[in-house]
Amino acid sequence: MDRSMKAISLVLSYPTRELQAAMPEIGAVLASDTRLTAAARRTLRPLVDELASRDIYDLEEQYVMLFDRSRTLSLNLFEHVHGESRDRGGAMVSLLETYRDGGFEPVTSELPDHLPVLLEFLSTRPFVEAQETLADAAHIFEALNARLVRRESPYAAVFAALLQLSGAKANREAVAELLDQPETDPNDLEALDAVWEESEVRFGPDPNAGCPVTRDMLARMDEPIRPAAE
Amino acid sequence: MSHLLDRLNFLQSNELEQFSNGHGQVTRESRDWEDTYRNRWRHDKIVRSTHGVNCTGSCSWKIYVKSGIVTWETQQTDYPRTRPDLPNHEPRGCARGASYSWYLYSANRVKNPLVRGRLMKIWRKMRESLSPIEAWTKLQSDPILRASYVETRGKGGFVRATWDEATEITAAANAYTAKTYGPDRIFGFSPIPAMSMISYAAGSRYLSLMGGVCMSFYDWYCDLPPASPMTWGEQTDVPESADWYNAGYLLLWGSNVPQTRTPDAHFYTEARYRGTKSAVICPDYSEAAKFGDVWLNVKQGTDAALAMAFGHVILREFHLDRQAPYFEEYCRKYSDFPMLVKLEEKDGKMIPGRFLRADDLDGKLGEENNPEWKTVAFDEASGGLVAPNGSIGYRWGEDGEWNLEEKAAGTETRLRMSQVLDEDHDDVVGVDFPYFGADATEQFSTGDKRPNVLTKNVPVKRIKTAEGEVAVATVFDLFCANYGLDRGLGGDWVAKDYGEDIPGTPKWAEKITGVSADRITHVAREFAQNAEKTNGKSMIIIGAAMNHWYHMDMNYRGVINMLVMCGCVGQSGGGWAHYVGQEKLRPQTGWLPLAFALDWSRPPRHMNSTSAWYAHTDQWRYETLTAGEILSPTAPEGDWDISMIDYNIRAERMGWLPSAPQLKTNPLEVAKQAKAAGKEVPQYVAEQLKSGDLEMSCEDPDAPENWPRNLFVWRSNLLGSSGKGHEYFLKHLLGTDHGVMGRDLGEEGAQLPKEAKWHDEGPRGKLDLLVTIDFRMSTTAVYSDIVLPTASWYEKNDLNTSDMHPFIHPLQAAVDPAYESKSDWEIFKSLAYKVQEVAPEILGQETDIVALPILHDTPGELAQDQVRDWKKGECDLIPGKTAPNYIAVERDYTAIGDRFTALGPLLDKLGNGGKGISWNTEHEVQHLRDLNGVWEDGPTKGCARIVSDIDATEVVLMLAPETNGEVAVKAWEALSKATGRDHTHLALPKEDEKIRFRDIAAQPRKIISSPTWSGLESEKVCYNAGYTNVHELIPWRTLTGRQQLYQDHLWMLAFGEGFMSYRPPVDLKTITEAVQDEGDTLTLNFITPHQKWGIHSTYSDNLLMLTLNRGGPVIWISENDAKKAGIEDNDWVELYNVNGALTARAVVSQRMKDGTTFMYHAQEKIVNTPGSEKTGLRGGIHNSVTRATLKPTHMIGGYAQQSYGFNYYGTVGANRDEFVIVKKMKKVDWLDQEATPKEAAE
Repeated sequence: MDRSMKAISLVLSYPTRELQAAMPEIGAVLASDTRLTAAARRTLRPLVDELASRDIYDLEEQYVMLFDRSRTLSLNLFEHVHGESRDRGGAMVSLLETYRDGGFEPVTSELPDHLPVLLEFLSTRPFVEAQETLADAAHIFEALNARLVRRESPYAAVFAALLQLSGAKANREAVAELLDQPETDPNDLEALDAVWEESEVRFGPDPNAGCPVTRDMLARMDEPIRPAAE
Repeated sequence: MSHLLDRLNFLQSNELEQFSNGHGQVTRESRDWEDTYRNRWRHDKIVRSTHGVNCTGSCSWKIYVKSGIVTWETQQTDYPRTRPDLPNHEPRGCARGASYSWYLYSANRVKNPLVRGRLMKIWRKMRESLSPIEAWTKLQSDPILRASYVETRGKGGFVRATWDEATEITAAANAYTAKTYGPDRIFGFSPIPAMSMISYAAGSRYLSLMGGVCMSFYDWYCDLPPASPMTWGEQTDVPESADWYNAGYLLLWGSNVPQTRTPDAHFYTEARYRGTKSAVICPDYSEAAKFGDVWLNVKQGTDAALAMAFGHVILREFHLDRQAPYFEEYCRKYSDFPMLVKLEEKDGKMIPGRFLRADDLDGKLGEENNPEWKTVAFDEASGGLVAPNGSIGYRWGEDGEWNLEEKAAGTETRLRMSQVLDEDHDDVVGVDFPYFGADATEQFSTGDKRPNVLTKNVPVKRIKTAEGEVAVATVFDLFCANYGLDRGLGGDWVAKDYGEDIPGTPKWAEKITGVSADRITHVAREFAQNAEKTNGKSMIIIGAAMNHWYHMDMNYRGVINMLVMCGCVGQSGGGWAHYVGQEKLRPQTGWLPLAFALDWSRPPRHMNSTSAWYAHTDQWRYETLTAGEILSPTAPEGDWDISMIDYNIRAERMGWLPSAPQLKTNPLEVAKQAKAAGKEVPQYVAEQLKSGDLEMSCEDPDAPENWPRNLFVWRSNLLGSSGKGHEYFLKHLLGTDHGVMGRDLGEEGAQLPKEAKWHDEGPRGKLDLLVTIDFRMSTTAVYSDIVLPTASWYEKNDLNTSDMHPFIHPLQAAVDPAYESKSDWEIFKSLAYKVQEVAPEILGQETDIVALPILHDTPGELAQDQVRDWKKGECDLIPGKTAPNYIAVERDYTAIGDRFTALGPLLDKLGNGGKGISWNTEHEVQHLRDLNGVWEDGPTKGCARIVSDIDATEVVLMLAPETNGEVAVKAWEALSKATGRDHTHLALPKEDEKIRFRDIAAQPRKIISSPTWSGLESEKVCYNAGYTNVHELIPWRTLTGRQQLYQDHLWMLAFGEGFMSYRPPVDLKTITEAVQDEGDTLTLNFITPHQKWGIHSTYSDNLLMLTLNRGGPVIWISENDAKKAGIEDNDWVELYNVNGALTARAVVSQRMKDGTTFMYHAQEKIVNTPGSEKTGLRGGIHNSVTRATLKPTHMIGGYAQQSYGFNYYGTVGANRDEFVIVKKMKKVDWLDQEATPKEAAE
């Protein structure tokens, strides 16, 4: 079993006292994984410490606020890929079948695209294969990392680590797309305005030119806008 | 991938094999691209379900499931056929429903039980050493600990809990509350049972077993039109949408069918192809306006003036100058027009008073049973007075003459409608009518300087009564005078010509409404002409826009008058089509026992929410509307100068309206005291109330003993959507940050209430515990202490019906509930078992005392033919007659769970029924034992099991006449006995039909006709209200037994609403100098219509719907108004008044009428809402600038159709008379600057 992968799965799970007790061991696994750079390992330390020592209720409140309540930080990967589009159901079915092909039946109430579930599965796979899967999600890790850094959350380091494990350079464009468009930073008013903006209707010389409002609307349905506040 | 590279576009190989004579061909290029489509449409199963949301849609959907995951849904198209010449129902559905599977797995879903972190921490700590009851007791008795979580409501800080913990806290809190304060301090709010009736019933069954309070919704949502109970004795009964197709003339009045009735709108379109003409009345250029042949852009809030002018034209041309035979006949038989009204003298003037009753006459016309409830008319044949069949006096205490046959005392009669002919009257006298048109506030004023009393001539007959000679007039003659029609009787304030500016004429209405007199005349004439030619196929579709005004009764009665004058009600293709609130729970009588645990104890505790929230959120402490402002100048002498809450207290005291809590002392204690005193409960309570040792809670809502302590909200977004006076909820009920800017009456130095006890300091944080059950993190959930994740509409089994179509439809669990969620049935079941586990520490088998108001459709509705208050010594306190009844109810807190899951013994013992009739149901109960199985031992031994949600659906389906033909026949038999006419032919052909859950899963089923409803389902007609009244001669359940256009209750007369008239919107005085800033230029009427991209707040946080909308809260204003305040399209604006503030973007549109702003409800404050400059808090929701205010006429009780019924009659939460200041925001502050993440709703 890839213990680092499993460790990250645990770190991203809802904090419990059991987790707190196991944090020294989990921290050790992460600290000794040389697939991660020294810098990456160092930045994981504050989270490991926090999970080990902070009041459990504070940890839980924080986790609910970040990962249960914030759409843009959802640990359900397809939230970032498909949003509320109808492709999401199909994608989850495919993932479920991947788990079954791998010889596992999910026994959790979490959906198949929940990151800790995926990581646990990957911990049972050869690293090369796991890397491939992680690489597919690299742009999500980078985006979540950026968002958590902005919130000064120690959880940011986990996503940086995942990115390193994937061995992939996140596709700049894909990251930019996630960061720019879907997550409208509530503090960035210009970005928010852009989301709200409707294109001007011009009654031009060509009567068959189509309605720009409709065109933009259709375009946005592919990538639905996200609310600023969560 | 496009697969473009694999495909030949221009060439075809000629080597390809051909077969079937060249019709088939073998290809060799890759066909992988087809997999895209194969995968796209793959599924393991398709399950029928629908969306249990408050939209009245009840549309059938196919849910596609693959590996336990919902992949998508499509519209189902297998509705039962209609009949030749009527279009089919399908397709039904809309963009919102079609996006539901996308919502199902949304990140906004509640995944686990959540508890406020600080509460959880304290709880776990205490539970280490204390029992659940001890822990909650300790927590509540420590004000610091209590405040530690109460004050953080709405500010984040949730942690996950296990189901066991979450139900344990809740159960302990409920048990503690029942023991300490009384079970009637446990409140539960859930709306629209019809949208998922088992989910509703789960909560209400739990509450009813506990003795908790089930709160009404229909009146609170202001979807209840009190004019309907007043006129028909029926909550609301309307035609199904298919019947629009049968109409010849469709008037859409404040109803935006294409936008808000999406799945039904096709019938409107199809009717237009059939040649139906349509007029649309609405202030803005709405989607519906585009459908109309004519659009009347009436000024908002003045519809009653328009209705009056329509009525004026109809009366003139079809009743007076010429009597259309069909209208004349219809009105004589089916309206109160012929009934006689006594003219009463006041200061030497005559005013219309009470209906003449048999009791007033010497010899009482031979009527010994209820003569004071039998109205009187002249018989044309004999010329004498008769008490015609069908009035409410015939309904109770005797059988066989409660019908609309043209008979009285067994003899044929023909009632006289008018005494206008010289030979028919003794005299013509001046009668005073109140006139309110000159009272308009600045925004509605037309400069009208007319007096507020108009004296008009009316022909009268003088008759001898027991109290001497009195002048009597027919309702019709008074009605014509009220509409300002000159009938050649001389006198003022009546018009011969439409061009005269006299109240009631089109010219007069033109000035008020802005609609030209010509158009008014034209539409009125066409409407009536069509009705005359088609025997009543003119229909008025009407909606919230008309009903949400303070004086909604005037709007509605104006419309109803038109329909009755034209004989449209009860005729296929005609009538009153009020579509607001999905009130039609078709299998109602089957559902009631399950929902309110009537199988275990009766009566349940029901409360009208408007009065409850008004009192408990302390909105009454800020009341600016005085009775004097709405009182009639013709009001009889009386103590009318009291505040709105005082009226409500009197109504509760006289047994008119329910109370919650009921008594200041815990009813469990009162029962013990009664027992100790050796007295019967009603007698004991009456004595104690009279002596003052017991107090009614309503008299002191702010005393801690009278606070609601626990509140459940399920299937509802009370705080995010329907909470009028939102900021007052936050301030007083929840005790957290709020945006109330006004000061209360004490601080203002205004007149304080006389009956309600005043505390200088308004309490903050009355609730000990707020539990919300939802599938998404709504605004209400954000403010709760405990949030329980519920199964959504593809994850549970349930029933769904609508007033828009005649089918009963299932919700089905296509997949297991996602994450940790459970169905409402399972949640309340587990809670019931939890109570059974923790409560015995302090509660056992207890006697509770339930205060029951005088109920409609029971013999008690004949309680008070006069208004008398026992507290003022005007009568004795007789429970159930002059005051609420006080009924002892046995509860077993050691068996709440056992009882929840078993069908109790009272159905066998007492039978079942509804709306005044009842029948034996032993047979059905036995069937349920056979079907669901029987409990073998324990406290419910021998009872049928109701373990699963499907078991629960079977209980409803088995007991209801609509779904069990055998019961339908029994029900019609019961009614036949009362009317003396055989109605069983309406159900006999379906006697053997029994609809089960699996039947409706296979295909939605048409219901069986039942006397619960006034329409029929048959091969000949679509469902239409009033049909059986007209065609089966079943009386309306009113005082006169007819459609009652005159209301003679003392309070109706005092407030000037005996007849319909135009009353301008009231002045709520919310734009005070204190709240106004310098430079505020724009004050607009604040209107909150139904939106296009959500169903109330549901779907409003759905990303796709947000995309289709502008992406967050918006308000609409006209170009002229925008210019005044320097606002451009898409600018951020702030709206505020003393009630609070909200922020939104402006949509500047030519569609809007100057002087108004629209804010579609309900846009959650958790989505894209910046901070308010005015309050410094995040901008509120649409209800942040509203406050509910009560109307005394809605409190009337103990008086025939004006008697209380749950969701039937009572105060309503009107909110359209509100004004707001609209201002462009200087800088937008998103309030997200804090270093620590905090909840959005803060």
